[in-house]
Amino acid sequence: MEALGRAGVFLFQSAVGVPSREGWRLWLHQMHFVGVLSLAIVLVSGLFIGMVLALQGYTILVDFGAEQALGQMVALSLLRELAPVVAALLFAGRAGSALTAEIGLMKATEQLTSMEMIGVDPLRRVVAPRLWAGFVSLPILTVGFSVVGIWGGYLVGVEWLGVFEGSYWSNMQANVAFVSDIGNGMIKSAVFALVVTWIAVFQGYDLVPTSEGISRATTRTVVYSSLAVLGLDFVLTAVMFGGL
Amino acid sequence: MIDAPFIEIEDLHFSRGDHEIFRGINMTIPRGKVTAIMGPSGTGKTTLLKLIGGQLTPERGRIVIDGQDVHRLSRKALFTLRKRMGMLFQSGALFSDLDVFENVAFPLRVHTDLPDTMVRDLVLLKLQAVGLRGARHLTPAELSGGMARRVALARAVALDPELILYDEPFVGQDPISMGVLVQLIKRLNQALQLTSVVVSHDIKETLSIADYLYLIADGQVVAHGTPQTLDTNQDPRVSQFIHGEPDGPVPFHYPAEAFYRDILGEPPMTKTG
Repeated sequence: MEALGRAGVFLFQSAVGVPSREGWRLWLHQMHFVGVLSLAIVLVSGLFIGMVLALQGYTILVDFGAEQALGQMVALSLLRELAPVVAALLFAGRAGSALTAEIGLMKATEQLTSMEMIGVDPLRRVVAPRLWAGFVSLPILTVGFSVVGIWGGYLVGVEWLGVFEGSYWSNMQANVAFVSDIGNGMIKSAVFALVVTWIAVFQGYDLVPTSEGISRATTRTVVYSSLAVLGLDFVLTAVMFGGL
Repeated sequence: MIDAPFIEIEDLHFSRGDHEIFRGINMTIPRGKVTAIMGPSGTGKTTLLKLIGGQLTPERGRIVIDGQDVHRLSRKALFTLRKRMGMLFQSGALFSDLDVFENVAFPLRVHTDLPDTMVRDLVLLKLQAVGLRGARHLTPAELSGGMARRVALARAVALDPELILYDEPFVGQDPISMGVLVQLIKRLNQALQLTSVVVSHDIKETLSIADYLYLIADGQVVAHGTPQTLDTNQDPRVSQFIHGEPDGPVPFHYPAEAFYRDILGEPPMTKTG
């Protein structure tokens, strides 16, 4: 409970405020580190998940003679659920753990303290750009995940298994609603981005500055973020699609 | 005001958990002098520097730097005050993602609007002063411990502060870098009219540069004076430390139960009747 309070104050102090010109530069640098460098793992995973969805979906749908609905099935599964959730889990493992370890090591080697003594607030200089980079990059990665996943579904469904191309795309177009499917998926992704990045930077900033402390905090980042993402996904799905 | 002390510490109390670190410390640190704070390891010397820098808050008492009570300042005012201080960390604490040049340039870039050419000149001047102008392109990982500390010193004086806090500047240095650091601290203090606070337990080096000394033990100031007066001080706690005697009022053994009981278990029963 006390840690939650500390984490709240921490989030407020870091995330609120107008960035300076230098702040933008640091943010861009972190966007590269947190976002661009996560692209490969997220896109490759998206491709495989789209391909598997199409393969599994086809074997079920073909029994009902409904394989024309494959495009719609792949797209809805990705946009509503798999893209936000899996991208967030991958992001926690790839970028979240790195953020925790990096900030933790800066703390352990007194870099944060020395920054404070130079008169620079590490919350603004070190934490804020990383937080904002995480907030912004995960939703973008999620979009990439969906796009590549839908393309992967097309490769397997249309190119390999022979579903009619026109029905793959037109059924998808007819049945995916912009607000309730794409919009809700993006809201999920934004919430996950906030939670995962927050957990990652806070765990780094708050850890016990020893090598054991860093390893524990890194583990905690991945465990807490994954649980938070899956738990929140259920809650959000219940609110968005479950008619709560 | 020029003769007023730069730092005044009054009745300072501080604990970590149940462990009482300071029990009423009083100190006056004069302007423009080198003041050394000495004491055995674990007496909280580094903690004292962190209290002076406002990174920790005391339970009781106050620290006044140049008329400002450090722990009553707002976060913003505290950061402004810190621009007037430099601190040299035991580990150097260089930013590992920046090279030597950028480490020294860091305070200039964040606190001034100087053009790049002027930043470059200032950084090279500071690096020249610590003899590492040629090492400007190295990363912190490529520096030896002594070099890292000299770069950190150049960074600490980049903004021409009025006060420098040195945290164990001599620990783990070979004799040559030790000599270099001693000379640098002394020279910087004279050239820049700084107020320096050196926290250390290296007696010889510290005595050679300090104008005034405080010796702390058991959470209190046990003695203070000029290096000469401390050298001849008769207090057993002072002479044990100054002359490096292994046993004395500061015991060699960490508190433990009696040795024979620890080894043999219960003492043998004495026969009766």
